[in-house]
Amino acid sequence: MFIYKKNLQYPVRIANTNPALAKVIISQYGGPNGELGASLRYLSQRFAMPSDEVKGILTDIGTEELGHLEMVGSIVHQLTRNLTPEEIKAQGFDAYFVDHTLGVFPQAAAGVPWNAISIAVSGDVIADLTEDLAAEQKARATYDNILRLSDDPDVNNVIRFLREREVVHYQRFGEALGLVTEKLNQNNVYYMNPAFPGR
Amino acid sequence: MNNKQSAETVCGYKCGALPPCAPLAVGIVPAQENAQAQYEPDKALARGTLFPGLDLPLGNMVNDAAPNVPLAELMAIDFAAHDLSLYLDTHPGDTEAFAAYQDFLRLAEEGAQRYARLYGPITKRDLLNAETYTWLKSPWPWEYRGSMEG
Repeated sequence: MFIYKKNLQYPVRIANTNPALAKVIISQYGGPNGELGASLRYLSQRFAMPSDEVKGILTDIGTEELGHLEMVGSIVHQLTRNLTPEEIKAQGFDAYFVDHTLGVFPQAAAGVPWNAISIAVSGDVIADLTEDLAAEQKARATYDNILRLSDDPDVNNVIRFLREREVVHYQRFGEALGLVTEKLNQNNVYYMNPAFPGR
Repeated sequence: MNNKQSAETVCGYKCGALPPCAPLAVGIVPAQENAQAQYEPDKALARGTLFPGLDLPLGNMVNDAAPNVPLAELMAIDFAAHDLSLYLDTHPGDTEAFAAYQDFLRLAEEGAQRYARLYGPITKRDLLNAETYTWLKSPWPWEYRGSMEG
């Protein structure tokens, strides 16, 4: 089960509102490479994992991603607080506002709602960990693009932290794949799926 | 595989060890050899990693410091502990790193109790020593606060 901690992993303090930037950053809330998908991907993959190291790293990184979801939601919320209808129209936030007002909805920057098709749970440890390595790189690349589009230091401070976490998670998933591979048949690592040994 | 890599090689903190004679057709990320090179917790939080070897920013865009809030010191200790625990998930036999992890946990526990006394509960367990049910006290974590508030 989960216990809530009433603090963010990293402080979010955004002095100036900017709905145009919020529209871009919301992609890391509910877009294809975002934190909602990351947390559900890892926490769902755990059930079919064959070794304790992989169960542990998916649990711990999946839990951390829930904290990142909260951080990205906090950025979107703070960038859109206290807006007037004039500001909403001037910054192109009206198409989002009409459905969600100032709530935070899991969607991609282009407005596509979050979709489980953006994650994979294959039930195969090599396939899943290889997916996770790619997922961390896609999230890192998305944060790179946010840094290219944003000139708000309060936002970029948080985005740089989140981006670096993707690099660290990539390293740990890679190490977990190495540990699992060592336990498989060294003449043919694809001889069987340890989560479905009946072939 | 690079022939210069052998079991005896001690990699620098920016390099890792590959397993020798690894099977073909499966991905390999070099393993971090040890957890000896570490930032101080406040710098680790600012950079997003405890480990200088994994600190790989876009261009020269790095954080010199995390925002200065009352919770920042505790966040830094919690973060250092968390990042070290991810290392321990894939290096469970590293006793030196585990001892360092326990040191962080002790500091985090003391810090959390001190913070809860001053500002209010972080988890519901902190209500054990509270006078009233202060769980609902604002601000909640996502709400904007000036830099001086908690």
